[in-house]
Amino acid sequence: MPEANSDFVLELHGMTKRYGDVLACDNVDLTLRRGEIHGILGENGAGKSTLMRMIIGLAMPDAGTMVLDGKRRRIVDPTQAAEHGIGMVHQSYSLVDALTVWENVELGQHGKLDPGATRELVVEVTERYGLDVDPDATVRDLTAGMRQRVEIVNCLCRQPRIVILDEPTAALTPSESRYLFEVLVEGVRKEGWAVALVSHKLDEVLQATDRISIMRDGRVVERVATVDADSASLARAMVGRPVTLRTTAAAAAVGAVTEETVASSGDGDAHEGGPPVLRITGASATAADGAVLLDGLSLDVYAGEIVGVAGVEGNGQAPLTRVLSSLIPLQAGKVTVNDQEVPSGRAGAMMNAGISVIPADRLDSGCVPQMTVAENLVMSVLGQVATHGVLQRNEITSRAQGLIDEFDIHTPSPDTTLAELSGGNQQRVVLANALSCDPKVLVATQPTRGLDVGAVEYVSGRLRAAADEGIAVLLMSTDLGEIAALADRILVIYRGSIIGEMARSEFDVDQIGLLIGGSAAESGVT
Amino acid sequence: MTDLATEPFEADAVPAPPSRWRAALEWVVLYILSIAGALAISAGLVAVTGNSWQKVFGALLDGAFLAEGRWGNTLTVAAPLLLVALGMVIGVKAGLFNIGQEGQLLMGAMAMAFVGTKLAGPGPVLLVFGLVLGVVAGGAYAGIAGVMKYRRNVPEVISTLLLVFIAYQIVGYAITTDWFLRDTDPDRPSRAVTSAIMPDGIRLPVIRMFGNEFPIGFVIAVILAFVVAFVLARTVWGFRFRLLGSNPKVAQKMGIAANRTGGMALFLSGGFAGLAGAIMLAGGSSGFRLTTGFATNIGWQGLLVALVAGSNALVSIVVAILFAALRTGSGFLASTGVDRKIVDVVQALLVLALLIPPAVMFLRRRRKALAMADEEIDILNEEAV
Repeated sequence: MPEANSDFVLELHGMTKRYGDVLACDNVDLTLRRGEIHGILGENGAGKSTLMRMIIGLAMPDAGTMVLDGKRRRIVDPTQAAEHGIGMVHQSYSLVDALTVWENVELGQHGKLDPGATRELVVEVTERYGLDVDPDATVRDLTAGMRQRVEIVNCLCRQPRIVILDEPTAALTPSESRYLFEVLVEGVRKEGWAVALVSHKLDEVLQATDRISIMRDGRVVERVATVDADSASLARAMVGRPVTLRTTAAAAAVGAVTEETVASSGDGDAHEGGPPVLRITGASATAADGAVLLDGLSLDVYAGEIVGVAGVEGNGQAPLTRVLSSLIPLQAGKVTVNDQEVPSGRAGAMMNAGISVIPADRLDSGCVPQMTVAENLVMSVLGQVATHGVLQRNEITSRAQGLIDEFDIHTPSPDTTLAELSGGNQQRVVLANALSCDPKVLVATQPTRGLDVGAVEYVSGRLRAAADEGIAVLLMSTDLGEIAALADRILVIYRGSIIGEMARSEFDVDQIGLLIGGSAAESGVT
Repeated sequence: MTDLATEPFEADAVPAPPSRWRAALEWVVLYILSIAGALAISAGLVAVTGNSWQKVFGALLDGAFLAEGRWGNTLTVAAPLLLVALGMVIGVKAGLFNIGQEGQLLMGAMAMAFVGTKLAGPGPVLLVFGLVLGVVAGGAYAGIAGVMKYRRNVPEVISTLLLVFIAYQIVGYAITTDWFLRDTDPDRPSRAVTSAIMPDGIRLPVIRMFGNEFPIGFVIAVILAFVVAFVLARTVWGFRFRLLGSNPKVAQKMGIAANRTGGMALFLSGGFAGLAGAIMLAGGSSGFRLTTGFATNIGWQGLLVALVAGSNALVSIVVAILFAALRTGSGFLASTGVDRKIVDVVQALLVLALLIPPAVMFLRRRRKALAMADEEIDILNEEAV
C-alpha cells in the first residue's frame, strides 16, 4: 500500500459501507495530498457521496480506516471532522434561510456567541479569497450562486486543511463555476489545502483537478493524473462501457457541444401547420409575500418538438413547473391544451388534460419515497388498476414489472419502498410514471440534474423519443449544453417571462449567455 | 497505482447483513424485555406503597379476565377504544392528527341518546338510526375542524383538541335542559343530573358465552378494524388517503384535493369516535344514560391505542384489548387496598415500554458500526507494530 509521504494529508484504506443489500462503498482506497485538487468522478449511486459522508463523520463505515497525517483516526461526527481540519461544502444547501450570512457562520462556531468576532471572521475570509459576500445579507434574499458562496465562506471560516466539495456547481452558471474554481486553485496554491472535488461533470473535473479517481458501483475503478485523461476515456470508465460522445445526450452531459451534434437531430420548423398542443398566454403568479413568480409568461409547444427553456435558476422555472403540476393557481393568463383551457390550481386538472411533469426535485412533487416502487408507478393511472374501487394486486404488479423492465429500474422487487432505491433509479421511476399515462405534453424541469453520464444519456434519449412519438416536450434546464443538445427551439426565461427565442439552427452560446443574464435589450433578440 | 481495477478484490471483506428471522427474533425479545421491565418497575412501585405485588397483579388479572364474567366486561370496554383508535389510524394515514376523539365520542353518544329517548318507532330501526346518527354527529363535529383547516388554515391538532372542551359544555347543557335530554322522571333512582334512560328496545344485543356477556359492539369494532385495514391497503380510497398523507403535493398533482379527501378523512375519523360513543351508550355505559362524565377518557385512551399500535388497524385490536384489560382489571384493585392511580402509572409504563424497542434498535445499529470500525483500527495498528 502507499508509502509514507508527508504530502499525504488523508488516506483512506478499504472503506466499506453497506445500506441494506446495497454496497454503497466497497473497499475504497483514496489519498488526498497537500496542494492538490483530487477529482472524484462517478455516476449517481457510484458511492461518491457516501465516501465523502464517511470522511466527515456523517456516515459510519462498516469497515476501513482513515489515516490523517499518518495517524489512524475514527471520525464519528462533523464536529470532530472540523477539529481535524476537514470542511465540506454540501451538495444541497444547508443554510438557514431566515438568518443572515454571519449568523449562519456563527451556527458552526464553538463556545459563546460572539457576533463581532464572527462578522470580522466572515469579512476577513471573504476578503482573503475575494469572495464577494455581504455578511449582513439575509440568506433568503440571495441567489443560488451567492448561497453557494456563503456555503464556501462557511466552510472556510473553520480554516480547513482538507476541503470537500460535493457537486458544488449544480446550481451555478458557467461563469460562477469558473469563479468558484479560481478560489479553489488559489487556496490550494497559497495555503496548501487538500481538495476533494466530487462531480459527475467531465469537463469540470478535467479543468479543475490534478488527479482523478473514478468510482463505479461503490469501487474506485480507475485513477489517473488529469494531464493523462480525456473526456472519452473518463466517460468510459465511469459508465463501464464505451459511450458515444457524439450522441446528443452524452454531449449534453459532457458539455461538449459540437457543430455536428447541433445539426444532427431535429429541425426548428417541425410544427409548421398544426396548432400548438400546449399554449401558455400571459401567465402571471405572485407568491403569498408579494414576490412576482411569473410575469406575463407566454409560450407555445407543438406536437413532436422539444422546446428548451434556458435560464438561470430562480427566474420562474419552478413556479411554471408548479403551475403545470396544478400546485399553484395563476392570477392572470391561461394554460390551454389543444385549445381547451385548463383551470389552474385545481387538483389533477393539468394531469387530466394530458400534462405530465418531471419536477426538478423529485422528492417535492415527483414521487412518494414512503410508498413502494409499484405504488409509485401506478399512482397516475389508479383507475386502470382497480375494479369497483378495489386495487387489483396482480394488475398493479404486472404493470409495475412491465415499467421496471422497460425503464430498466434497478429494484429488488416492485414492493420495495422507493426510498431504498438510488437517486438515479428513483428518477427513472418518476420518468416511467410521467410517460406511462399517455401524456400529450411532457414538462421536464432539470430532468438530468445530479444524474451520471449513463442516466443522462438514458433520460435524454427518452425525452427525444417522447417528442418523436408526437408528445409536446417542454424542457427547462439551467444547463445550456443540455438545452443545445436536445431542444428544437430555445426560449430564454428571465424574471418570470420569456425574453428571447431562437431556432436550433441559430443557436449561439454567447447570445444565450447574455439573455439568461437579462440582457435582452443589448442582444437585440426577441 | 494508476489502475486499481486490475488489483485483486476481496469480496468477503464485507459483513453479510443479518438474516430476516434473526432480526424478527431480536424485535420480539426486545419487546418482551421492555414489557417485563415495565412490569418489574410497577411491581417495585406497588411494593414501595406497602402492598404485595403478587396480590396486585393477581387482582388485575382477575379483574380483567379470570373472575366470573370479567372478560366480557373487558371486551365491552375494548369496543369503543378500538373504534376510536381506528378513526385515529385513518386520520394519521391521511396526514391529519385529530386528537379530539373525546369530544366527538360525546357528540355520537348525544345523538344516540336523542334518538333513543326522543324518537318513537320500532327498536331495531331506531337502534340502527341512532348508530348512523352517532357516526354523522361525531364526523360533523370533527368536520368543524376540517372547515377551519381548509378555509382558514387552522391546524387540526389545536381545533380538534379545543372542541373537546366545548363538547363537555354542550353535553352539560343537553342533560340539564328539560326540553332536550334531561331525565324529568320524578321516580328516577338518583338525584344526579343525567339524560333519560335508553328504553329497552334500543339497546345493543348482548352475546352470552361461557358465563360472560358483552354487547355486539365489540364484534362490530373488530369487523370494522378489518374493513379499515382492507380499505387503507387495497382500495383506491385508501390509496388516496395514504398519498395525501405521504406527499400532499404529489396528491394535488394527481387530482386528490386536500380539502375534499382530507375533509373526508377527518369526517371518518370523527365518525368512528361518534360511533364509539353511540355504542357505549346503547351498550350500557353509565347505566344507559348520558352523563357529564360519560366519556371516561375513552377518547384519549383510544388515541393512545392507535399510537402504540403504530397506526395499524389490526394491531389496534390487540392493543385495545390490553388497554381495556388494564381498565377493567383496576376495578378489582380496591380489594387489595392499593390506590387505583397505580394502574394509571402501570399503563403509562407499558406505553413507554412499547415505544422503547425502536429506539434501542437504532442505537444498537449505530454502536455496532462504531465497534466494527474500532476493531478494524486495532487490527491495523497491531499490524503496523
